[in-house]
Amino acid sequence: MGGKVSCTLGEVKNRADFVLYWGGNPAECHPRHFTKYALMPKGRFVPRGRKDRTMVLVDIRETKSVKAADIFLQIRPGKDFEALSILRALVKGQHVDEKQVAETGLTLEQLTDLVDRMKRAKFGVMFFGMGLSMTRGKHMNSASILTLAAELNAYTKFVAMPMRGHGNVTGADVVMRWTTGYPFGVNFSRGYPRYNPGEFSTVDLLVRGDVDAALILGADPGATMPQPAIDHLARIPTVVLDPKVTHTSRLARVHITTAVTGISAPGTGYRMDEIPLPLRPALRSPYPTDEDVVRRIHQAVAEKPDWMAAGGQTTTTQI
Amino acid sequence: MPAQRFLLNPARTSKQGQQINVGKDNAEYEAIVNTLTMHADDMQSLGVSKGDSVCVRTEHGEATFQVEEGKVPPGMLFVPYGPPTCRLMGGGTDGTGMPTSKGWEVEVEPVQIAAK
Repeated sequence: MGGKVSCTLGEVKNRADFVLYWGGNPAECHPRHFTKYALMPKGRFVPRGRKDRTMVLVDIRETKSVKAADIFLQIRPGKDFEALSILRALVKGQHVDEKQVAETGLTLEQLTDLVDRMKRAKFGVMFFGMGLSMTRGKHMNSASILTLAAELNAYTKFVAMPMRGHGNVTGADVVMRWTTGYPFGVNFSRGYPRYNPGEFSTVDLLVRGDVDAALILGADPGATMPQPAIDHLARIPTVVLDPKVTHTSRLARVHITTAVTGISAPGTGYRMDEIPLPLRPALRSPYPTDEDVVRRIHQAVAEKPDWMAAGGQTTTTQI
Repeated sequence: MPAQRFLLNPARTSKQGQQINVGKDNAEYEAIVNTLTMHADDMQSLGVSKGDSVCVRTEHGEATFQVEEGKVPPGMLFVPYGPPTCRLMGGGTDGTGMPTSKGWEVEVEPVQIAAK
């Protein structure tokens, strides 16, 4: 495991002459990515913009992003980890059996050519999407592409970056990281943060029925999570802060309408390269901001008597 | 027509992304998340045409979608994420915190057959 070798999108814009997208469809899901950062812009070390860059797309189907690619590699579903492992072997000059390559849906010639191009690049970047991180293998697929990027640095400069989702998902991870040391799945019930995905992560807590109340902020789990998790949200007192009516607000006991961050409320949004960007509202809203509501809830809770001092049970004593 | 097995890949689309900013509480959003794209040969093999309903089943649940033809590989289905795909998703996360949300093996049959 090599950790995450990354950079800012500004560096991609100014330096990247090799751009690879794996399991992502930016033409549909990140429509400004090509034009603003990764492909079209002229940069300091890529003065001719698109003409100075090679773009490779790896996916299980021909998406709209194929039109923008120089090379399209159609991989067999669920074979990402195998293909990445083969690429790592080829990068190190190890022998790879053609039969092993065939099960990925690609040829040894295609992968050898890809490795040659990667090594010849002056600055390579690999962006990966949910087609890699949400299929069989999940975090091991992500670890594999991050390790490939790290290992390519023995030959040239290479980085990897996840194509993060809409809203401020990167911001949630980054703030949790610098406040607790962990990106998600953090349990505060003992008074200090503990991290264990699969035990303290939201879906697992809801599916097991471990929580007896929920505050949903800037998300719509009612339209994204597995049905058993949604069913539990409907059973317990769920409070939703959202500018719009959503599937979650419909099942919640309380829905507080809030202003839209970035449109009618200020705030900070984190770009997918983890750069914080201040958001200035263009319009006024009659509704409070998420921050106002959370502060008022926090204040009201703080005014209540200390339940632990009054003999309340902690999680430890319950066990 | 007996049920056939496919590989279902929920995904995001630009149209869905735009509609989310308009709102989810309307017929347009419902139509987007209930439309399943499949290969023309697969539609013929199932005996369905554009706009017909199919029932999709996993080991965790089932949902009904309207089909449309698209440029997708044979044997694979694509649909935007939404409440119907939630009903097909299992609650297990394999210790990662994230449920498997792509590459499900599903069983598909036309609704009129399923109802009999």
